[in-house]
This record gives sequence, structure tokens and C-alpha cells, in this order.
Amino acid sequence: MKPLAQDPTLNDFGHDPWWIVLIKVVVVFAFLVVMTLFAIWYERRVVARMQVRPGPNRNGPFGLLQSLADGLKLAFKEDIMPKLADKAVFFIAPVISTVCAFTAFSIMPFGPVVSLFGHKTPLQLTDIPVAVLLVLACSGLGIYGVVLGGWASGSTYPLLGGLRSSAQMISYEVAMGLSIVAVFMTSGTMSTSGIVAAQAGSDTHWGPITAPSWYAILLLPSFVIYFVSAIGETNRAPFDLPEAESELVGGFHTEYSSLKFALFFLAEYINMVTVSALCTTLFLGGWRAPWPISLWAGANSGWWPMLWFTIKILLLLFVFVWLRGTLPRLRYDQFMRFGWKVLIPANLIWIVALSGIKTLQKSDWDGTKRTMVVVGVVILLLIVALVWPSKKEPEKLTVADQIAARPDGSFPLPPLDLVVPVNPRAKRITASREEPVTVGAPDDSTGPKEA
Amino acid sequence: MSLSPYVPIVGLFALAALFALFSVAIAPFVGPRRYNRAKLDAYECGIEPTPQPIGGGRFPVKFYLTAMLFIVFDIEIIFLYPWAVSFNQLGVFGFIEMILFIGTVFVAYAYVWRRGGLDWD
Amino acid sequence: MTSALHLVAAAAAAGEVTTGEKAVFFILAPIALIGAIGMVAARNAVHSALWLVLTMLSLGVFYIVQAGPFIGMVQIIVYTGAIMMLFLFVLMLVGRDASDAVIETLRGQQAWAIVLGVGFAGLLGTGLARVVGSLKVVGLEQANADGNVQGIAALLFTKYVWVFEISSALLITAAVGAMILAHVDRSLRDGTAVMSQPERMRARFEPGSYPGPKPGPGVFATSTSIATPAKLPDGTPAQRSISPILPTRELTAAEVANKQTEGR
Repeated sequence: MKPLAQDPTLNDFGHDPWWIVLIKVVVVFAFLVVMTLFAIWYERRVVARMQVRPGPNRNGPFGLLQSLADGLKLAFKEDIMPKLADKAVFFIAPVISTVCAFTAFSIMPFGPVVSLFGHKTPLQLTDIPVAVLLVLACSGLGIYGVVLGGWASGSTYPLLGGLRSSAQMISYEVAMGLSIVAVFMTSGTMSTSGIVAAQAGSDTHWGPITAPSWYAILLLPSFVIYFVSAIGETNRAPFDLPEAESELVGGFHTEYSSLKFALFFLAEYINMVTVSALCTTLFLGGWRAPWPISLWAGANSGWWPMLWFTIKILLLLFVFVWLRGTLPRLRYDQFMRFGWKVLIPANLIWIVALSGIKTLQKSDWDGTKRTMVVVGVVILLLIVALVWPSKKEPEKLTVADQIAARPDGSFPLPPLDLVVPVNPRAKRITASREEPVTVGAPDDSTGPKEA
Repeated sequence: MSLSPYVPIVGLFALAALFALFSVAIAPFVGPRRYNRAKLDAYECGIEPTPQPIGGGRFPVKFYLTAMLFIVFDIEIIFLYPWAVSFNQLGVFGFIEMILFIGTVFVAYAYVWRRGGLDWD
Repeated sequence: MTSALHLVAAAAAAGEVTTGEKAVFFILAPIALIGAIGMVAARNAVHSALWLVLTMLSLGVFYIVQAGPFIGMVQIIVYTGAIMMLFLFVLMLVGRDASDAVIETLRGQQAWAIVLGVGFAGLLGTGLARVVGSLKVVGLEQANADGNVQGIAALLFTKYVWVFEISSALLITAAVGAMILAHVDRSLRDGTAVMSQPERMRARFEPGSYPGPKPGPGVFATSTSIATPAKLPDGTPAQRSISPILPTRELTAAEVANKQTEGR
């Protein structure tokens, strides 16, 4: 599949008349607000399903208006300015968070060139040669909202939460920044529309199944590292240490109420949508339809791509919620160790390996030389693996041995062969239920015929 | 260079800023205002707020080390980006340069790791 | 506006300063200056850092306007990161409510600083204006011919490769310096041993220390009195379940005896 003529390139941007720019700005703004309202409902419903409860289902069809109602409620709550707060900074922190969250979305590609009121325009607010860096810059600035909110509250929990999240977000920003390098290397551009176009290349066929030429498949380690660090970057479970309820109450926004709190909430969910959208753009083929749909010729033209794009975002958001429903929160030292000692070195090694492979592919060496290089690298790796100090696994004990090995004063355990006696109260209830309630004829022994 | 592709970014920025500032500004007037001294105290789950130490208390120097390492890696990433974008034009020479660069920074990283700078307690 | 944008593009191609660029400059230059002045004048150290953020952001936008989008974004990413470090540094060093001393240690230093600062700015400004005023700008289009980032890469990895490699040495110095200055061996802080998080977690599950909540009195007990200890899973009474303020008393034989109420 060759990049089509309707694929926007960098030269297609910046030619819209002012009213189209205005329409696009308002649409992107509305998209983000609606996505936030929807994502809150979606998260609550999905996590409720995972915990075997219905979730919000009262306001509107399927409870869809629940988050709107919550948002309106927040507006009519008292706005509290704590006594010890730094007034100006306390006021500006949620604004910084929100503005950065919105601005980051301005370069997301929603689709190809379409006709809008008779005017040919790409389905994307704008694109610049350094588009992905804009997202990184905005997420970097967004940290200020969190840290300043925590600092300005003049209270202990928010300060701790703010400090924690600053350390956390800068740590995971490094991993995130490194994971994008491989994408730039393969696509040769930093503009989002260019990256989407670069992923439209030839699909791989495995029998009847067509694997898309997405970077998620081509650059799997980068994709995994990006997604993990995106969760750390958005402070989501299992990396939600800045807002760890059991330790810090609400983290940096403990002292915030009313619309200021709503703005923080909005920013958090927009950030989730943004990292999902960026993930879609960089790794999941952007707005392009995956294989079974792409058989239909019109799938990648007109307004349809916007649908595929939104569906991909929603699927990624589902994974976010899924992780929240599955994993417990990490301890802080585990979390920082994972970021600095696993993600970053793995990322660097992957980048070096990928660039090595690519250089080898490009080189005009013949087959034997290439094989020699590959064999050399493999031997080197084997030697390293052999020399690498390994930890001895302790032998696994049986349950009985483990119990016998417990020192004195350990928490007492019931014996292994304990037979739990039936609760007499439970027995009584069962008995009364088992008794036939005779209401009508005395020969009626199967059960009551009338209630 | 034409600046026109940047205009929509400024537009979205302005709209978001207007929205956020408006929300923050009207918040005190829309909601109720019922004064209560306890509301304005620092929230500590219902107990009397711990008295703030003189000078506001200090923080572990550990965070500074993390921030410094962040700067080091951030600069490394910034160098990696142009290299990655024009990887196809740079050829073997560019590859070797970058291996050297990453290797040098990795030495610093390994040193910090060995000294326990990446351990949190 | 379309026509205006095209005009802007055309003017940029001719190497002149465009209206858009001028507008951005005249809006942001005062903001950058206010940020710089605010940074010096702010009493609170954190406010100082925030004013600096404003200046750095304005500078980043200036770079973008001057056809250097990459360096502009780098300015925003790296310098705001650097200020984040400064911010943490302030918090660490002086605490939350730190502010500058209002008293002048050198008499009249503020006045002198203002006079010298304005004088230096005037000198620099006139000098630059004389040099740059009649300068014809050329070569921007050629430099950005294959794209701004590619242009930077082509120079950085060929002509300036030595500088690039040397900068890695700078990064090493930064990391090692921070390590030597800021690293405290965690096992000894203030001369006392500090437990790490894993050690603390293990200690929580050591014999004699039960991680769960204390059993409430009367739970699985033979009576509902709060003086009756709860029973542990193996049937032994848990003394921790009784509040220490309760007067201890001996149970009578009748109280201790199994009441057989549960039908065993």
C-alpha cells in the first residue's frame, strides 16, 4: 500500500483560512472535554464490571451523564483557599496543568485530507517539523501544575505528593523520551502526520492474516517501554504514588476544591487521552484502519479515519483501566528502581542494537561479512551471559516445611487439617428454609403453591 | 520560515487558557461561602495540623540527585533526536559517533548505579 | 488572514523580518523582561524560579519564530527541566517558606546594582544595534533546506562532532559531581542507621509483629465483654485485643468454662 495522494504532508499545513482554524480549534477543544467526560464514565463502568458491580447507571442512558453531573456539582462547591496557601501560585497551578494538557493535543492527526465546506484541509489541527517534541514540552511543563499545586497548598500531604510526583514524572519522562527515538530513527521525521504516513508501508502477510506495518510490531520494545512510561507519566495505577490514598490522602490536590479541583481532574484525563493518542500515532498506525477493515477501499479516506483513531484511543484507555483494576500500587523504591534501572538501560541497549542492525542493512557488505558481524555479536552476548553473576535460587519448601520453619512468636496459624465446624446460626437458617411451608392442603409436600 | 502552522497551536493555547482562567476566576462566586476556621486549616485527616517547622522543613538531597540525572539524560535524549531523524543520511560514521556518546554517558550512569545513587529507601 | 499568512511566508522567503515575527517579538519581549526583573525582585525563592520559567518560555518561542523550531522546543524541554531542578534545590536547601533577607548587607548595593545594570544593558544594546542594524540576513533558507532538525544533525555530526563528543564528558562531570555532592549513604543518616523500604516491610511481618489490624475484643470469643480477649486462629487468646486501660481482672471459673452455646 503506497502513501496516498490524500496523505497530508508538512506542506499541507498552515494554509487554512482563519475560520477553518477557528472551527478546528473549537472542535479539538470540544473533543477533549467530551473525551474526558466519557473517559471518566468509561473508567468507572469498566472498573465496576471488573469488580462485579454495576457502576454509575442513574443519570442518563447507561449513566452516561454521570460525569457531567459530577462536573456541574463541582462548580457549585465552595472554593476554599487554605490559610497557609501561597495565593497566587495556588490560583495559577490548575491553570498551568489544564493549558498544557490541551495544548499538547494540537498536533494529533485525526485523519487524511478532507473537504470542509468546499475547502481541502487535513483532518488535523496543525503539524510542525518538531510536533512530537511539542507533546514532550507540554508534558514537561504540566509537571509544574502538579508540583506548584502541592507546594502552594501550605500543607504536608500535598507537599509530599507534589515532590513525589515531580521526581516520578521526570524519571519516567526520560524513559518516554528514549522510547520515541526508535520511532524517529525508522520514520525519519518528527512530524506526526509524517510518522502516520511512514507506517502505511507494506503490510506483512502470514497466510490469511495480514499484520499491519505498525511500529508497535516493528519496534515492540519501544512500544512496551513507551506505554509503561506513559502510565508513570500520567500518574495512573499502578504508578499512582503522587495520589496514593492510603499514604497521602489526595496527594497534590488534597487542598483543592470546587472548579480548581475539576481542572486538575480534567487535566489528568486529558493527559491520559493525549498519551493514548500519541501512542496510537507513533505505534499503532495513527488514523489508519487495521487489516480487516482496510480491505474496504474507502476505509482510509474521508471522515472514517477519525472513527478508527477514536476507537484505538478508547482501546488504549481500556488498558489503562484494566491495569488499574488488576495491579496493586508499587512501593516507591520499587517504582524508582523500575524506571531508572530497568526501563532506561533496556531502552539504550535497544536503541544501540536497532541502529546497529540498520547500519548493517544499509552497508554494502556482502553476505559473509554480515554473517561474521552477526556471529561475532552473538558470541559476545553469549560470553557476557556466561560471565554474568547469577543468583542461586533457594530451594522451594512445602507448605508443611514452611510452617515448621517459622520461628517462635510468629502469628499463629490454624492447623492444616482443621475442619471448620458449621456455624450453628447458618445451620438454623438452612433448616428453616428446607422446611416445607404448608399453606394449603396437608398432602401438599412439594412446596407452596400459592405465596 | 512560515509561522502559519504555529498559529493553531497558539489558538488552542489561548482557548484553553481562557477556559481555565475563567473557571478559576468564577469559582469563588458560583459556590457557597460559609466561613469556618477549620476549613481553612491544612487538611490532615481530621487531626490538628502538625505545626510547620521553622523555615518550612527541608527535603532529602536525594531529589536533587534525581533531578540532576534527569538533566543529564534529557540532554542525551536531545542529542539523540536529530541523530535519529537523519539516521539514514548519516551512515556508519554517525552510528559510531553515537555509540561513543551513549557509551560515555553510560559510564556516568554505571558509576551512579554502583555508588547507590539510584537506590531509594 | 489567508492572504496575510501568505504575505508573511513571502516576506520570510525574502529574508526580511515579517509582521508576524515583529508582533510576537513586541508581545513577548516585555514579558521576557518582566520575567527577568521578577526573578531578581521576587522575595520568595520559588516565585523567583517561576518568573525564570516565564523568561525561558518566551526565549523558546523567540527561537521558534526565528526559524529554529528544534532549538526552541529544546529550550522549553531542557530549561524548564533545569528550573525544576532549581525548584527542588530551593525546597531542599531552604525549606518551604524561605524568602530573601530584606536587609541590605552592603549599603546602597541595590541602587548601584540598578545603575550598573541599566548602564550595561544600554552599552550592550547600542553596540548590538550598531552592528546588527545594517546587517543583511542571508542563508537561513539554505540552512533549513532539508528541514531544521536534519540541518542541525548534518552539522552536529560532521563539522562539530568533536564538540558533540566533548559534551558527553560534560554530562559525566555533571552526574559524578552531583553524585559526590548530593549522595548520602542511606545506611547512615545523621549517624543513625536508616531502614530501607524493603527492610521495613520485612520487619512488619517479623514474628511478634502482626501486619493486620488488631483483633477486636469479643471476636470469636466466648463472651461479648470487651474484657474478653479475641481468639487467634489457633485458639489462643490475643492479649493485644484488650485495651490496656481496662482494669485487668481474673475471670471466674464459670466465665472461663465453655458455655456450649454454639452447639459443639
